[in-house]
Amino acid sequence: MTEISTAQPIDAASAPTSGRRLRAGTQVYMYVSLIIVAAIVVVPLISTALGGFKTLGELRGNPFGLPTEWQWSNYTDIIVSKRYWLQMSNSLIIALLTVFLTLTFGAMAAFCFAHIRFFGTDYLVNYFLIGLMFPAATAILPLYIRIRDLGLIDTYWGVVLPQVAFGMGMSIMLFRNYFRNLPSELFDAAFVDGCGYMRFFWHITLPLSRPIIATVGIISFVGSWNSYIVPLIMLNSESRYPWPLGIMIYRGEFSTEWQLVLAFITLTILPTIIAFFLAQKHIIAGLTAGAVKS
Amino acid sequence: MASVELRQVRKAYGLLDVIHGISLSIEDGQFIALVGPSGCGKSTLLRMIAGLEEITGGDVIIDNAVVNELTPRERNIAMVFQSYALYPHMTVAENMGFNLRLSGTPKPVIAERVAEAARMLDLVPLLDRKPAQLSGGQRQRVAMGRAIVRNPAVFLFDEPLSNLDAKLRVQMRSEIKQLHQKVGTTSIYVTHDQIEAMTLADRIVVLNHGKVEQEGTPMELYRKPANLFVAAFIGSPAMNILDGTVDGDGGEAAARLSDGTAIRIAPDRKVRRGQSVKVGLRPEHLSPGAGGTMLAGQTLLVEPTGAQTHIVFDLAGNPVVAIVDGEYPARYGARFEANIPAEQVHVFDRETGVAL
Repeated sequence: MTEISTAQPIDAASAPTSGRRLRAGTQVYMYVSLIIVAAIVVVPLISTALGGFKTLGELRGNPFGLPTEWQWSNYTDIIVSKRYWLQMSNSLIIALLTVFLTLTFGAMAAFCFAHIRFFGTDYLVNYFLIGLMFPAATAILPLYIRIRDLGLIDTYWGVVLPQVAFGMGMSIMLFRNYFRNLPSELFDAAFVDGCGYMRFFWHITLPLSRPIIATVGIISFVGSWNSYIVPLIMLNSESRYPWPLGIMIYRGEFSTEWQLVLAFITLTILPTIIAFFLAQKHIIAGLTAGAVKS
Repeated sequence: MASVELRQVRKAYGLLDVIHGISLSIEDGQFIALVGPSGCGKSTLLRMIAGLEEITGGDVIIDNAVVNELTPRERNIAMVFQSYALYPHMTVAENMGFNLRLSGTPKPVIAERVAEAARMLDLVPLLDRKPAQLSGGQRQRVAMGRAIVRNPAVFLFDEPLSNLDAKLRVQMRSEIKQLHQKVGTTSIYVTHDQIEAMTLADRIVVLNHGKVEQEGTPMELYRKPANLFVAAFIGSPAMNILDGTVDGDGGEAAARLSDGTAIRIAPDRKVRRGQSVKVGLRPEHLSPGAGGTMLAGQTLLVEPTGAQTHIVFDLAGNPVVAIVDGEYPARYGARFEANIPAEQVHVFDRETGVAL
């Protein structure tokens, strides 16, 4: 009797408590996991930035700690150098052209695939999506030959066009999913109001697609900004080098001066981090669009 | 304003026919309702009139011109959608003036027309708001404003009140009625709600499985349903349908139910002795103490609604609904008696469902 009377209250009381304990346990697990993942991402970034403030000797002896004496000149020397700004502007020109063309052609192609049925639509969509499976490096020789035949070697276009082509699969996939999730009644209403496909695309679809435009824009911007192999093959003149090739030159010239390489890297990744934070809200909305019924 | 005519309009998706050659004539300025259950083809038919859906066969004629190949814009129609379909990134004023902007109307004219429509629909204080900042009723009014601002030949309404709550639906219903009385534009209104159809329309077209079951004024459909489907669809609560067999001829004819109860049938009904029929009794025609056949049974359910009470009683093993005055002393389990005059008894052939 005593056993029963004591067992029952323990069971009844322990159910919600164990639930709370479980939730608390899950939360601890979640936070620990997130801290580990964040550390994996953030520690190299911070180490790079701090490494740029050290002397080479200190960098070798104390690679992860704070610098004992902050070497601001590592950064200021790079910032005042003409080459840094030239490479930065080359990177910007190539990235902005890539983003503009990826957005323009990706959005227009995706709009057709989302709204117009024609013979072979699905095959054509799949053809573009297959592009997602192949990085540019796998086709670098035929790419080089084609760009050479077009007379675009050692020009910005020689880098931009392959980047746009290889970004098209991702761009079309994201845009198409987003466009297909816009309410079909909007299309009907616009059609009744007098829109054709072009006007519907321009007046209705694009203004409603800011999240996905931001997402595709940032992805293609970062892809172009970090691109190494395509510029390496297509560009010959140092005056056209974007910053990833610039690092190569620094490494060559200052093979023992790692602190300058780290300072240079910090200064070149700064714009992408700022761009990401500015567009973060839109990117998350774009990547999750259509996941739940709105 | 314009008349609308459908001539043998057909729609098929591959081998599946969904609209089977519908012909319809809608006069200039008329308000017509297309009603029917879900999947009967009413919205498809409306979209075919709008030009949003291609037609497989037949002709759509607006203002005496065949418009089969014309775009919605060229047909000069305006449509109000169930989900409002307002452009979320535009203000109310921009939404309403968008179609005029597309047609190249000068800005001062657009502003004037939008202001006029806004006054008519009580939207003036909301003109600078975005759709997300509006209530459901306000959004629907903006959708109507967008339609009237261009002064179309025909208004098309695709279940415009379905997304609203019951109270707002009644309010918007009367606003649509008032709007039609003011502008007098030919209107085609799709709904599955027969009350909406009855209260709004000059004429109702009842559709089922892509065919017209009956067409007529609301009272014609209510008083003389052509078949069982229309009889059961029009009227709320729905008509009681009971199995019976005709007993007697001419003025003496009656429908005998399975328990032997005989319900007198009006002499003008074309029935013959021994014929298997379905008997239709409207709940509001079953009145305690009135003339005609007396029907009685045990009370199964009492549903007071205030002014009226719905009583469900047992008749020959079937639950039958009667509407009585709210003051009537109904009690669960008690014997309930109601009378129905022979003229109010509907009779349908049991095989074909056609009214006799």
